[in-house]
Amino acid sequence: MTVLPEVDELLSESAERLFADTCSFDAVEAAEETGWAPEIWQAVADAGFAWIGLPEQAGGSGGSLADACEVLRIAGSFAAPIPLAETAVLGGWLLAQAGLALPDGAVTVVPGLRADTLAGSLADDGSLTLTGTAHRVPWAASADRIAVLVPASGSADGGVVAAVDPANVQIEAATNVAGEPRPRLTFDSLTIGADEVGQVDDPTTVQQLRLRGALSRTMLMAGALDAMSRLTVDYTSQRQQFGRPIGRFQAVQQHLVWGAQDAAITNMAAQVAAGHASNDLLGARFQIAAARTIAEGSAATATRGAHQAHGAMGMTQEYALHHLSRRLWAWRHEYAQPGEWSTEVGHQAEQAGAEGLYPLIAS
Amino acid sequence: MSAGKDAEFSRKLAQKGWVGMALPTRYGGHDRTAVDRFVVVEELLSHGAPIGHHWVADRQTGSVINRFGTEEQRERFLPPICRGELSFSIGMSEPDSGSDLASVATRGTRAEGGWLLNGTKVWTSGAHENDWFVVLCRTAPLEDGNKHQGLSQMLVDLSTEGLEINGIPFLDGSPGFNEVVMNDVFVPDELVLGALGMGWAQNTSELAYERGGPDRWLSTYGIVEEFLRLNEGTPLGERAAETLGWATARWWGLRNLSLSVARMIDEGKAPSIESSLVKEMGTRFEQDVLQRVLELVDLEPSPESASLFERMVAAAVLTGPSFTIRGGTIEILRSVASKGLGS
Repeated sequence: MTVLPEVDELLSESAERLFADTCSFDAVEAAEETGWAPEIWQAVADAGFAWIGLPEQAGGSGGSLADACEVLRIAGSFAAPIPLAETAVLGGWLLAQAGLALPDGAVTVVPGLRADTLAGSLADDGSLTLTGTAHRVPWAASADRIAVLVPASGSADGGVVAAVDPANVQIEAATNVAGEPRPRLTFDSLTIGADEVGQVDDPTTVQQLRLRGALSRTMLMAGALDAMSRLTVDYTSQRQQFGRPIGRFQAVQQHLVWGAQDAAITNMAAQVAAGHASNDLLGARFQIAAARTIAEGSAATATRGAHQAHGAMGMTQEYALHHLSRRLWAWRHEYAQPGEWSTEVGHQAEQAGAEGLYPLIAS
Repeated sequence: MSAGKDAEFSRKLAQKGWVGMALPTRYGGHDRTAVDRFVVVEELLSHGAPIGHHWVADRQTGSVINRFGTEEQRERFLPPICRGELSFSIGMSEPDSGSDLASVATRGTRAEGGWLLNGTKVWTSGAHENDWFVVLCRTAPLEDGNKHQGLSQMLVDLSTEGLEINGIPFLDGSPGFNEVVMNDVFVPDELVLGALGMGWAQNTSELAYERGGPDRWLSTYGIVEEFLRLNEGTPLGERAAETLGWATARWWGLRNLSLSVARMIDEGKAPSIESSLVKEMGTRFEQDVLQRVLELVDLEPSPESASLFERMVAAAVLTGPSFTIRGGTIEILRSVASKGLGS
């Protein structure tokens, strides 16, 4: 049996405390209004959480990918409106892989959508010229650097990573359904000097980034599902109708139980997947794809149930449910085409065959 | 689906050390953890092994006798359970008591050296071929608002005089279900399981063993495995791949959740809420798997088909509704689980 890394309880506790202190209802609302939460970011950075899981020699805070994932899960439960996944697990990781320095502030990453036209050409002097558009780049306007991966044309090669200053990029504001910044970027023959360009030789870099992207959203969704389940149980134990708390009615209890199950199975899946990924990211393809599949299904059913149990109150801006439900509606589409991950699990199961199916389930 | 029964298979399995694994060695068990037992049980279930003979004894009765029984009861019952010999049925439901189990009407009245049982149990799977059953009965009068008091569990030999077993055929005509009528069935004091009057607490803890395991999410696994076997060599279409991926991902997730229930048992906890959550979710999933397979393949399920796959599908169509009923309906499980959530 594979031994999975354990995340130190003290880490979870201190992350829990930090996000509870900083991500108040008002702070999350304000971040949506202005598009940036500098106080929350600063507190998270001061605690070292922004670079968790990145090697210390690259300017990171050290710790494992599992540690970073646990902090992301907790950030998700508080609807933390900051590019933590982008900095610690995605963009920051790319910069470190390419031997580039981590900036003082936040890092974001070009997620690489089908609609993107972004292309780069590397000059002999090591500089990189970027041309085209990139869609839905989280918090690009507030980041210190945008990490851009330009895969090499041959599949045996890795690619080039550039650390781009957003000040040099044309940024068109756009948000996701949670009101989180997901702007469109236009690179107009932008040349990045050789000192901000690095090679990645590992041919699996694109694949690793895709898996990390899926894992990061799985962790965030797991946290949000957990918080949403607790919020719904609390609300229905206080809201009275017909002379008793509505949570005493069996029809309402069904929503509570299904929501708790969605939260439980997604959190279990996310944490197990994070453990496997921390040991061997590419070897954890099945676990990440399975956990991502579970999270996507849970996000759909749990948001429906939580809203139903909350009634009209849950539909208002002044009540916290939408901080979680809207994020779940947004995150389930990120790093996922419709059916992408379940189909991937299906093909892995197909490859395993009848004899290999249960061993896969037990992996 | 229900596992086949084969006493010889159970005996051989026991010789391998795979029955009564988590029971103490001094009673013939193997002192293994609930997690170890989980790993063996999932292999047996995923291969469709005929474990019916020892199944109830291994899953719950043995553990309950070990946890609550007297030393004499442990010495008497656990060794033959661990040898895979002794088979048990469950005597909980009654004609007027299903989900509201504390309302059981079977009464134990004091007699010299023991108790006389009167009442009727129903849906008693395997009573016509098993050796013993554990009867939940009322041994003290019902007091207002205190229906969990005054209940006891008794170990009853199914061949005792005064006990009548009447078969109740399943909807497809197959045997398995029974009604067990007890008329002055004598149970000596030494066969009162655990403490007199503690039946409710013991029964609740028994249900935690009964509810959270792999048998609550693997009932239709064999169908999908057989589907893959039949299609080996032919690439799956996208729709089939997505269905297979959905099911495989959920089996993986449920397995991890179910494994965490086993870990809690190993830590000495009685995870009745967690196991209710797993069973409620797992049994609905078993039915969903069947539905998704039916939507995928072109067949009319037939119990007489020459194809194993078609026979399995037919059996699942017929027994499928019981997944979310047996061992506690999903409605009662929701009620148990939501109390644990604090609502």
